[in-house]
Amino acid sequence: MDGLLTAATAGLSAGGAYAILGVCAVFTYRLVAVVNFTGAAIGATGAFAMVALIEAGMAQFPAIVLGVLAGTLTATAIGVVMTRWFSGATASTKAAVTAALLVGMIAVGLRLTGGQDAHLFPAVAPGSAFRFAGVEVTNAGVLTVILAVVFTFAAETFLARTRTGLRLRALSERPMAAELMGIPVRRLAITVWMLTGAMTTVALIIIAPQRSPNFASMSLLVVPALAAALIGAFSSFRAALLGGLLIGIVEGLASGIDRFSQYRGAVPFIVILAVLLWSQRGARWDEAR
Amino acid sequence: MSLLDVSGLVVNRAGVGVVRGTSVTAEAGQISVLLGANGAGKTTLLEGIAGIAPVAAGRVVLNGADLTRASPGDRARAGLALIEQGRTVFARLTTEENLRVSMDPETGPENAYALFPELRQRSGIAAGMLSGGEQQMLVIARALLARPRVLMIDEMSAGLAPVIVSRLMKAVRRLADEGMAVLLVEQFASLALAIGDRAYVLRRGGVVYEGGCDTLARDPERLHHLYLGDAPVGRGE
Repeated sequence: MDGLLTAATAGLSAGGAYAILGVCAVFTYRLVAVVNFTGAAIGATGAFAMVALIEAGMAQFPAIVLGVLAGTLTATAIGVVMTRWFSGATASTKAAVTAALLVGMIAVGLRLTGGQDAHLFPAVAPGSAFRFAGVEVTNAGVLTVILAVVFTFAAETFLARTRTGLRLRALSERPMAAELMGIPVRRLAITVWMLTGAMTTVALIIIAPQRSPNFASMSLLVVPALAAALIGAFSSFRAALLGGLLIGIVEGLASGIDRFSQYRGAVPFIVILAVLLWSQRGARWDEAR
Repeated sequence: MSLLDVSGLVVNRAGVGVVRGTSVTAEAGQISVLLGANGAGKTTLLEGIAGIAPVAAGRVVLNGADLTRASPGDRARAGLALIEQGRTVFARLTTEENLRVSMDPETGPENAYALFPELRQRSGIAAGMLSGGEQQMLVIARALLARPRVLMIDEMSAGLAPVIVSRLMKAVRRLADEGMAVLLVEQFASLALAIGDRAYVLRRGGVVYEGGCDTLARDPERLHHLYLGDAPVGRGE
């Protein structure tokens, strides 16, 4: 039992990161109508930029700052591409474009980071925060969960209470009507990309020491992120937050059970499948009738 | 010089000229009515002026400033507002939030509520739940709060009850009387001519009549022929 609790607690750190990535995915979808497959790749770009700087001799803190900046700039560049050439495209076309960009980013990222060459990611929040029921809870786990919760409520408050948030909600519904009212549509959309780029980079920098340190596997963290966003129906920040945490915990539990540990990576796929089947139940029932 | 001066505008769609060298003007305090049969190019003309449809030739000048190459957002910020067809409310936002999107944070939505008092009672309701007439009132009120110099309205009466259309027409007249220039595309020619000052009749992307609304309102047979294309191109009083 203690072993399972330890495994579940270990999954909390990953769950926090999934939650941040999932909330970012909801944020991007709700406000600029893009299912963004590049989310984790953007974070991976920033995380590897940080490692490159540290390997070149830079101190950790400025390297982290520059890494987050690199992730933000990468997200901005993708935002510019999406708003300049695909603003009028359908949601499926936009999703396909980001999937294509993901493939390109992984190819370039693997090349630039030396493929499977090991990189040592420094722990941003090393050590143990506290013990819970005899299980050590790491600082990284606590930090990612706190960041996920703060980001979720900050996003909700920002959209509900500020003028810019209101304009973003208007823009997400009718971009052309918003532009015809003088709302700076492109600037706001790129700001959304910048913000989510910075947040995903922070999340990946925190959890990188506990993950497989290669560009492709970090970029594919988009799968649990999108699973978390799907739990929130790409609409609810809170459901995406809980979904991300839940996926991380279930993954952790799976890794603690010998029979399932090698399949723990399949947890997000099972979640995606289950949510899609659940969401289609009404249509299938209608069809059956 | 007119407040809005559109000259020789050419707008193509899929390589076909939909607006062909059209010139129209709008004056402060006046309503210019654009009439014409379906496919005459009225909506495309407004989209060209607003910057949604790419302009192949011609000029759009607002109060002396050439906006021909400006983005739709820049044109809006310069004072050119377009109310598109189809009651483009932000459906998930409440009525008041729709108004807050465009209004100056320093001013409230009072001007909008003065124009359409029923919106005040519906202020907390999602705009998507409003009736068609209320939605059209909301988009007009929302545009008003952005304080445009020129308000372009495309087919505001489509699908609405006559009593609502009549109220909307009176509201538009009131906006013009308060100094706004209005460019109105309308399918109900008689209603539009009743509140308008200057009329343009478009056929196949070009202006075939330009003159006073009252002149055209007094001669429905001529208007009928202008629509159908068997009347000579002309200018009214």
